Amino acid sequence: MATDRDIAVLIGRVALRDRAAFAQLYSHVAPKLFSVCLRILKDRGEAEDALQDVFVKIWQRADRFAATGTSPVGWLVAVARYHSIDVLRARRPSADPLDEDWQIEDPSADPERDAVLTGEGKRIDRCMEELDSDRAAAVRSAYVEGLTYQELAERHSVPINTMRTWLRRSLLKLRECLDR
Amino acid sequence: MSRPDQSEGDRSRDQLLAGEYVLGVLSEADRRRVEERMLRDRPFAAMVANWSDNLSGFNGDYGDEVPPPQVFGKIEVKLFPVRSFGRELSAAGAWWNSLLLWRGLTFASLAALITYVSLQSGWIGAAPPSKTLVAHMNGDGATSVGLMARYDTANGRLKVLPVAASADAARSLQLWLVPDGGQPPVSLGILPQTGEGSVDIPADLRPRLRNGVTFAVSVEPFGGSPTGQPTGPVIASGKAQDI
Repeated sequence: MATDRDIAVLIGRVALRDRAAFAQLYSHVAPKLFSVCLRILKDRGEAEDALQDVFVKIWQRADRFAATGTSPVGWLVAVARYHSIDVLRARRPSADPLDEDWQIEDPSADPERDAVLTGEGKRIDRCMEELDSDRAAAVRSAYVEGLTYQELAERHSVPINTMRTWLRRSLLKLRECLDR
Repeated sequence: MSRPDQSEGDRSRDQLLAGEYVLGVLSEADRRRVEERMLRDRPFAAMVANWSDNLSGFNGDYGDEVPPPQVFGKIEVKLFPVRSFGRELSAAGAWWNSLLLWRGLTFASLAALITYVSLQSGWIGAAPPSKTLVAHMNGDGATSVGLMARYDTANGRLKVLPVAASADAARSLQLWLVPDGGQPPVSLGILPQTGEGSVDIPADLRPRLRNGVTFAVSVEPFGGSPTGQPTGPVIASGKAQDI
């Protein structure tokens, strides 16, 4: 099993245009990234196409990884998630969020903290426990499955504006908890 | 609309936008706006990075799903279009068609080889003092030949390092320059079977080693092609390109 460090080294070699490293990286992480594409796109053919494009992006953008300071697998999953979400949004356009919901009280107020990366994201589980369970579930499925506000609203049988408010309040609570 | 490009917008709003971007709930248009803003607004980009890091704890929800075996090949085709060398060369002359036949008959065990050639930027231009052209020819399978070639414009010497030669000793590997524009291939010489060697490029050919030309390696009778044109299977090929 490849460690985070192994994966980081492989990404570094890919940035140097090392095709053998690219093949190794593929064999290590393709199953995980294919799972990401499948979970979001829910269609094997589309997920296979997406996986191809994801690895094309990984080849093209490997040199940017070093600057991100994130975990290597986290970076790779982010490439796969964002690409799959883009494919999904292009297929099913979602409504733009409305302006009026932006005025939500912000429980945190420390501008210095934003620039600091907090590590691995382990604390997210503890902070999720502070949310109501249905809101926590909405946050999680938005992330994992790439659902739109509309789809989340349908799944939870609430109006779309209610779902927007849920998610935005949840995000602010999470931010406050994570920065605590 | 959320006006994600408003750089002096209030912080909680930016935090929300960054969080929504990472969650994935934004529309396509808003996703593009957020990405454009990240390029020029570092504090905002840091917010996005922070959320991305925080929420990556959810990545454990993704399992492992082995993709179909042909996917990697398709990725390579997208990234390394020199694989379509056969198609490119079919326009260059009938010799290629006979090579395809040869390839099928004689060296069926050799995997298709890919050449990755990179020109150091600035190599093309008015009399560079000393520049290097590097070609890395990779094989896919255990039976293939890997070659590293380095061309120095200062002395016109092409150094070749076979990385994993498995060529039959009774044959020679011959390097060819395939000009663009459909002209016939020109021999650049015989490659060493093992160990590092070099090929001196004749002075009159040196100006032709430039962006867009194709290198190819064929398997020939020991000592080289008897006809002056490739007669055996092409086991490596690739286009020189600026990167």
